[in-house]
Amino acid sequence: MRAAIAAHEAGVDVALVTKLHPVRSHSGAAQGGINAALGNETEDNTDNHTFDTVKGADYIGDQDAIEILCERAPLEVYQLEHWGAVFSRQEDSGKIAQRPFGGAGFPRTCYAADLTGLVILHTLYTVCVKYNIPTYEEWFVTDLVTDDNGNAVGVVAYDMIHGKIETIGAKAVVMATGGAGRVYRPSTNAHASTGDAMSLALRKGVPLKDMEFMQFHPTTLAANGVLVTEGARGEGGYLLNKDGDRFMSKYAPNKLELASRDVVSRAEATEIQEGRGIDGCVLLDLRHLGRDRIMERLPQIRELAIAFAGTDPIEEPIPIRPGAHYHMGGVHVDNWGAAPHMPGLFAAGECSCVSVHGANRLGGNSLLEAVVFGARAGEASAAYAQDAPAPKVPGNAAQETQDRIEGLLAREDGPRQGEIRDELATVMQEKVGVFREDATLREAKAKVDELKQQFQGVVVDDKGKTFNTDLIHTIETGYLLDLADCMVTGAIARHESRGAHSRTDFPERDDENWMKHTLAYLDDGEIRLDYSPVTMTKYEPQVRSY
Amino acid sequence: MASTTFRVFRYQPDSGDLESYHQDFNLEHEEKTTVLDALLRIQNEQDGTLAVRYSCRSAICGSCACKVNGKTVLACMTQVEEAKAESGSSTLQVDPIGNFAPIKDLVVDMTPFWDKFKAVKPFLIPDGPAPEKERLVPKAAMEKVAKESACILCAACYSECNSLAADPEFVGPAAFAWGYRFAADERDSQRKNRAKLYSGQHGIWDCTRCMFCNERCPKGVDPRDAIEKLGAIAFQEKVTKDKGARHAKAFLISMRTGGKLNEQLVGGYTDPVGGAFNAPLALRMLQKGKLPASPLTHKVKNRDQVTKLIKNVKETI
Repeated sequence: MRAAIAAHEAGVDVALVTKLHPVRSHSGAAQGGINAALGNETEDNTDNHTFDTVKGADYIGDQDAIEILCERAPLEVYQLEHWGAVFSRQEDSGKIAQRPFGGAGFPRTCYAADLTGLVILHTLYTVCVKYNIPTYEEWFVTDLVTDDNGNAVGVVAYDMIHGKIETIGAKAVVMATGGAGRVYRPSTNAHASTGDAMSLALRKGVPLKDMEFMQFHPTTLAANGVLVTEGARGEGGYLLNKDGDRFMSKYAPNKLELASRDVVSRAEATEIQEGRGIDGCVLLDLRHLGRDRIMERLPQIRELAIAFAGTDPIEEPIPIRPGAHYHMGGVHVDNWGAAPHMPGLFAAGECSCVSVHGANRLGGNSLLEAVVFGARAGEASAAYAQDAPAPKVPGNAAQETQDRIEGLLAREDGPRQGEIRDELATVMQEKVGVFREDATLREAKAKVDELKQQFQGVVVDDKGKTFNTDLIHTIETGYLLDLADCMVTGAIARHESRGAHSRTDFPERDDENWMKHTLAYLDDGEIRLDYSPVTMTKYEPQVRSY
Repeated sequence: MASTTFRVFRYQPDSGDLESYHQDFNLEHEEKTTVLDALLRIQNEQDGTLAVRYSCRSAICGSCACKVNGKTVLACMTQVEEAKAESGSSTLQVDPIGNFAPIKDLVVDMTPFWDKFKAVKPFLIPDGPAPEKERLVPKAAMEKVAKESACILCAACYSECNSLAADPEFVGPAAFAWGYRFAADERDSQRKNRAKLYSGQHGIWDCTRCMFCNERCPKGVDPRDAIEKLGAIAFQEKVTKDKGARHAKAFLISMRTGGKLNEQLVGGYTDPVGGAFNAPLALRMLQKGKLPASPLTHKVKNRDQVTKLIKNVKETI
C-alpha cells in the first residue's frame, strides 16, 4: 500500500490487487514497533542505526541500502504520523515514544502499544481510501505476465468471489506479498504467508536472493507459534530456564535478553537441547513489570497468552520457544526495489531482498523496510511507467492459466495439499531449523524433492468456481515447495555460520569465502545457485558479540 | 483427546442448490483446539469444499468472525472445549456472521460493511501543512483514541447489531468507532463536520443501545461507547437538529428542570410536528391513566443532586 500511495502521488494510475482484504495483511500482526533514529528518548543518529543494522545482518547486508533505510526512517515515521498513525507518546513532550529493542544501541523503536503493525497497516489503508485507489480485493494472483522482450506487463489473477480468471495489464508491477513463513511449523506467520511473489518471479526466470536465511523469533507461544513481541523484552522481560536462571548472561553478557534474535534463539535452543527447558520451552517472565505497565504497553500479549497458553503474564511466566518468523531472503531487487533481471518488475517488503537485513533482521526493521522500500518502489515504478510504452499483454495469458487450473480440477485421485504442506513444514522445522548440518539438510532436500514429485499428482476436492479456497491452498502449496527448495539448496551450499544460518559442521563465519549473496534460479525444475558481491561502504566486518 | 460434532452452515451456490442447510462433521481433536483449527482440519481431511475466511490465526487480521452457538466470535480465538462447556453440549453449531448475505458457506458478502466504513471518511483530515517532524500530542490525548484504534474490522459488532437488523442502512458500530477515532483525534480538523456526517438518518442516534456490540467485540473496542461519545461531540459542536439529538436533549432539559423524566415534554420536544399526529394516541393513553393529566409534573426532592450528577457526567466527556 505504501508503494501504491507513492505511485499515486507521482501521478500515475495505480490499482491494488490482493488475495485478502488489505486490512487482513500480515503486517497487521507486527507488534513491537518501527525503528527510526528520532532521538526522542536519548541522543541517537542515523549512523548508529546503520551500524546496528549492519552488525545485526552479520555483515552480509548491502551497506549502501542500509544507509538509505536508516536515513529515510525518520521521514517515513513522521509521514505515518502525519497521516494519522496513533503512535504512543512521551509523557511530557508529546513526542513519539521510543522503546529499546534487540540488537540496538539506543531506544529507537517507535510503537503504538503492542499493535504497531496494525496501526501502520490501517493508516496506509485509510490513505488508500482517501486517495480512492481502486482495489481488487480477494483476487489471487496466479501468474506474472511478461511480453516478448521479457518485461513485466501485468498479472493473471483469479477473482475468488466471482470465480473468474482475468489478465490485468500494467506498465509496471510491484510485488509486496510478504513472507514465506508457512514453509515452517511452528511459524508466527499467517496462513496466507506463502511467499507468492517469490515463486511467481522465480518461475519467470527472476533469481531469489539469500533464501537460506530464515529468522527464528525467540519468543513464540508453544501452542500454535503465535508471536510474543520483542517489545516484551524491550520493556524489561526476563528469559528463564527451568532452574530459574537468566541464561542469557552466558550467551550475551552485555545485551542479555536484548541481543540479536539469532543469538537469543540459539541460546534458547541450546538450553532446551541440554535439558534445561520445560516441555520444549523456556520461560518469558514479565511479572516484575507489574500490572500497569503490562496493561499499558503489552495489552495484546496478555490477551494472546491467556487465550492460547492459558497463562496470565501478570501472574506467571509464559512458556515460549523459537519459531520461524521472518524470511530475510526474497526477490532479488536493487535499492529502488527494481528487479535487474526483469524490467517492469518491482518488489518491496518481506517478499523482496534488497538486501538490508542480510543474515539476520533486527526487530523493528521490517515495518521500516516495508514503508521505506515500499515508497521507493512506488516512486521508481511510477517513473518507469511514465516512460514505458503501453503494455503488450499476450492474448493467451489468462487462457493458459485457465487451462492449467481446469487440468488440476479434473484430477480425481491423488494426495491432498494439506498432507503435502504438513510434511513439508515438519521436515523444514526438524532439518532446516535453528541449527543445521550437512547430513540432515540433504535429507530435507530429498524430502522436498519427493514432495514436489507428489505435488504433480495433487488433487483438489472443490471443483467449484466460487471462493474455492481448496484450489488457492493447492496453488500456494506449489509456491511453498519452490521456496523450500531454494532455502534448502542455499543452506546446503553455504559452508559457514552467519546470522540465522547456523551450521554445526561449519560453526564459524567465513568472510573470505562467503561474504556474498546467494542467488537461486529455477532451471528446468531444478534450483541452480549463483552468487553476487555484498556492497560495503564504511563498516568493516568485526567479530559479532552482544 | 476430545470428540466434537460441528454443525456447520452450508451454502454451495455452485452446486445449483440455492438452499442453505447444516451439515454435521465429527472430529477427534486435542483438548486445546480452536474452532478455526477444527474447521481447517475438516476442510483438509473431510470436505475440501468448505469455505471459510481466515489468515493470521492470532486474533489480529479480523478475517474469521463467525457465530458459534449463535454468538459471534473470532474462530481462531475460541477454544472448542470452552465453547462446549459454555453451551453444555457436545455439538457446536457454526454459522456465518449475521446481517450479511452469504456467498458460500461461512463466507459472506462484506461489501456493505466496507462501503459504510468508507462513508465515515476514515482518514485524518488535518488543518494546515504538516510540521517538519511529528505533531506533538499529549499522551493522554492520544490514549483517548487508543481503544478504537485497536478495532480489527472483523464485523463481529455488525453481526450482532440489532439496529442493523431493523434498518440495513444503519451505518453500524465498527464504522462509528472509526468515526470517533478521527473525530476525537486532536490532529483532525473536522470534528463538527464529522458530527454532522454521523448524525441524520441511519446515523448515531439510530443505535438502539442494546450493547451487544460492546459485549461481543473480541478486542474490547466498545463501539457503543464510541457512539455515545460521538453523541457528546455532536452536542459540544451544537449539531443537535437531528431528531435523535433532540430526543437526548429533551431528556436533559426534563432532568434539569424537574429532576425526573417528563414524557410529554420529551415527546413534544423531540418531534413537535410528528408528535402532533400522535395526539389521538396520547388522548387514549390519558383516558387509560397511562399519562399524567398535567404536563407540569411535580419536581423531585434534592434536585441539586441531579444537577450535580449532570455536571459530573459533562466533565468526564
